[in-house]
Amino acid sequence: MTTLLESLSNELATAVEAGGRAVVAIHARRRIPASGVHWRQGVIVATNHTINRDENITVTLPDGTTAPATLAGRDPSTDLAVLRLAGQSVATAHLRLDSSPSVGEFVIALGRPGPRLTASWGVVSSVAGAWRTWRGGAIDSLLRLDVSIYDGFSGGPLIDATGRVLGINSSGLARGTAVAIPVATVERTVGELLERGTIRRAYLGIGTQPVRVPQSLARRLELKNTVGLLIASVESGGPADRDGVLLGDVLLALDGADVSDPTDVLAQLGGDRVGRPIAALVIRGGQLQTLQVTPGERPERRAA
Amino acid sequence: MTAPMTTGLTQQLAAAVDALRRVTVRVQASGTAASGAGVLWDAGGGDDSRPLVITNAHVATRAQATIQFDDGAVTQARVVARDRRRDLAALELEARTAGGGVAQVRGAPPLQIGELVIAIGHPGELTGAATLGIVHTAGGERAGRTPPWIRADLRLAPGFSGGPLADAGGRLIGINTLMQGGLALAVPAALVQSWLQRAQAPAAP
Repeated sequence: MTTLLESLSNELATAVEAGGRAVVAIHARRRIPASGVHWRQGVIVATNHTINRDENITVTLPDGTTAPATLAGRDPSTDLAVLRLAGQSVATAHLRLDSSPSVGEFVIALGRPGPRLTASWGVVSSVAGAWRTWRGGAIDSLLRLDVSIYDGFSGGPLIDATGRVLGINSSGLARGTAVAIPVATVERTVGELLERGTIRRAYLGIGTQPVRVPQSLARRLELKNTVGLLIASVESGGPADRDGVLLGDVLLALDGADVSDPTDVLAQLGGDRVGRPIAALVIRGGQLQTLQVTPGERPERRAA
Repeated sequence: MTAPMTTGLTQQLAAAVDALRRVTVRVQASGTAASGAGVLWDAGGGDDSRPLVITNAHVATRAQATIQFDDGAVTQARVVARDRRRDLAALELEARTAGGGVAQVRGAPPLQIGELVIAIGHPGELTGAATLGIVHTAGGERAGRTPPWIRADLRLAPGFSGGPLADAGGRLIGINTLMQGGLALAVPAALVQSWLQRAQAPAAP
């Protein structure tokens, strides 16, 4: 007689088997290969931080064979990278798009840090709203996992009890804790990376630091938000410099939205902002002033 | 609310753990303070034969050990085979005072990744503690060969060494041996079997 316990065990193994058919090993760093997911036909998704080289990348497929892959693009801000795989018949991931994960839901993290598939299990420990990574990437929801991190964790899929993919696991986004990049974010990023090779982001060329506006000044200027961002550096010749932002200005709002943390600035700098003027409210010389600044397109490795 | 599935699972898990505890012993090498776990293993000599105790070589470090059964009964045992490389030891009981029963070894089917696994051990002051996890990876370097280790997504504490790793049906699949890189490593039961056969073969004259 099969007990419930055995049925659960069989179902977990079946989910692992089903999900594992789309998990590949990516040889793009020294020592241990990284995991990746065959997301769509000919398209592999992985984490950016586990892909250390741009050339000479090979992948080990679930059947154990090795094939060359080419890097289609990477996005350090969301820690995603996309590779193209030509002429191979590998199962594609079965994505769960109809419902988002719930707190307490059983999940399995798959990896392939070599020829063999690996699995660890746990539960979704928290689900929160949209967030921005430390590199400014927009992620649709924060999925924190109570799942141990092993070699091959990053870049592998988080699957549900039926083997459907809930996201791509990464240990590189939240100080070494386990999070999953949700399917919606991956879909969007994959689309953009396949089209352009990079994620277009607007940038101003400023460095900022939160400061509290003195009470007397805040009262005089009738400020609701008493924390602003001190412009601590201005990139010479950058968009902000060109549009008259000065060192020492205190930035209070961008396009009408209060900014009191550098991530608030990043939140205003999506790819659609490039080349479109936005109103920047600053305190300069004790007076409020509105500047029109036009973000440029962010070069690689620049934050705001 | 009612939760028939979870309630059933919980009861079955408790029953599986109970059954496993009955074939799990505490092994304390003579003259040492440290102890580990061990598994009662069918010695293959018919109904009236005493079972062997299988544990890790790093648990049975002396020629003699004190064995404590699940019911509290205590007896002495003598090491009859030890292999440091495989980290296995087999002990012969001086007396069989407990109610009988040996671990049921799973022969087939092969382990699947994601299967539930249960480990029993004696961490710290606890006796017969249980942990639950899944098979992390399975399969040998080459198809058809027993891999040297079963790796499980499971937390083992000191005191689990030498104890049983079992599947969801309560069948023995390995001997818990160490933690490495956050994973539990167990010697597969099939390797214990073949090792025992070799170890018990009559020595060449």
